[in-house]
Amino acid sequence: MADLSIDFAGIKSPNPFWLASAPPTNTGYQVQRAFEAGWGGAVWKTLGEPVINTSARFAAVHFGGQRVAGFNNIELITDRPLEVNLKEIYETKRRFPHHTIIASLMVEPKREKWHEIVKRVEAIGVDGLELNFGCPHGMAERGMGAASGQQPDLVQAQTAWVKEVATTPVIVKLTPNITDITVVARHAVKGGADAISLINTINSLAGVDIHSWNTIPNVGGQGAHGGYCGPAVKPIALSMVAECARDREVGVPISGIGGISTWQDVVEFMLMGSTGIQVCTAVMHHGFRIVEEMIDGLNHYLDEKGLASVTELIGKSVPKYSNWGDLDLNYQVVARINEENCINCNKCHIACEDASHQCIDMLTNAEGKAILQVREEDCVGCNLCSIVCPADRAIDMIALDNGAAPMSWNQRSRIISGVNGAYSEAEAG
Amino acid sequence: MSAFAEFDRERQEIDNLIGLGYTIAGIYEDLDGARVTFIRSEPAGGPVELLLLTADARKHVTTLLVGRTRQTAAEIHR
Repeated sequence: MADLSIDFAGIKSPNPFWLASAPPTNTGYQVQRAFEAGWGGAVWKTLGEPVINTSARFAAVHFGGQRVAGFNNIELITDRPLEVNLKEIYETKRRFPHHTIIASLMVEPKREKWHEIVKRVEAIGVDGLELNFGCPHGMAERGMGAASGQQPDLVQAQTAWVKEVATTPVIVKLTPNITDITVVARHAVKGGADAISLINTINSLAGVDIHSWNTIPNVGGQGAHGGYCGPAVKPIALSMVAECARDREVGVPISGIGGISTWQDVVEFMLMGSTGIQVCTAVMHHGFRIVEEMIDGLNHYLDEKGLASVTELIGKSVPKYSNWGDLDLNYQVVARINEENCINCNKCHIACEDASHQCIDMLTNAEGKAILQVREEDCVGCNLCSIVCPADRAIDMIALDNGAAPMSWNQRSRIISGVNGAYSEAEAG
Repeated sequence: MSAFAEFDRERQEIDNLIGLGYTIAGIYEDLDGARVTFIRSEPAGGPVELLLLTADARKHVTTLLVGRTRQTAAEIHR
């Protein structure tokens, strides 16, 4: 069995599986049950000014037979008094001294407010702080959450205020509701952040009831934008993690969040630069015990790969994530249909005819059987046919050696301007 | 005509000129495609221009240029 323990910006954790700050980390009862189930850490549901929540507050997007493909909420930070939360954090830490407890914090962008909450929370023995600059709804209307997180200077200033008094590592949680995540990440680091976590939820409206014409969810017939999460947001989260991981000016550990439901998701986030991960929606859907499968799966995977520690995964795929302009334009793949696995549904033919390059022919073979065949010279290797194909191993994408040396768009642009410059000089001369 | 056949025709035109001793002297790209200027010093003649319409031909012509640049760089280092 591999070593699953991590050191996240100085915070030790028995494994990389943390619960994200959210409804599952609302009370000591929940966090203690989670630790008993196997979670290595928990980010306690955001502490801050007393707030009141609405009823209803959650909605889900079910898609193609999968329940909770996406999840949406208009819930705010904790509505329990700070003293009650602190007492329960203290008790939980005492019972589970080797598990990680991070306090998520959100207050008004005022220096003294941050100082006060940091001192009170650290006094009861948390392992670290996570500054919530992400929630897009409710608190943002009061100048907190994403309202702060969308202003890089405010992120930097508030992080610096926290660092003035904090004695534990400070994680800054970023909002994805921004054009370039690295800008805010860099400002968090300039403010002194020891780590970042991302992503928080994405602005969303889960749906509209076409019979009542109410939004989903609705509060007495009225709706508001909420935060989107769950499996549907994973690609967005993964790309933002990757952007931060490869940015040299960011350069701090990353806690990956966003649609993580399986051990495979965990591996992907760690390969793309996360030192640890946080999970919420999958727990809300399936309960704390999903961590058992995650731990088993990760252990087997690491053993299969011959890795002694989960930390050996961190960032291994980051060098493979670059810019479009650096991709090799001469690399070529083509689709190849395996007759023995093809069920002749013709979905690849239709997709190719209507949406791609019309290179899959419907033919009849020597035995009179209908077959589909790719004209490889016309195939641009877009992958569409293999994506729409419902049969396993019926279409392979094969890499071809076309004899052309690698050439990227950036190289191409440089060489064209070079040759044009030389020609212009020759004409002038 | 298939996309490959269109590209193949343009590639042959490019390769023919290169085979005749022409070199690529300029590439100007606009909404209509790429206008590629070829020149030849021996025997001297006026420039020849090809309008390349296919993406693969535009790729081919710049791949030739990249190859030539790499070859020149390798010769200099030798």
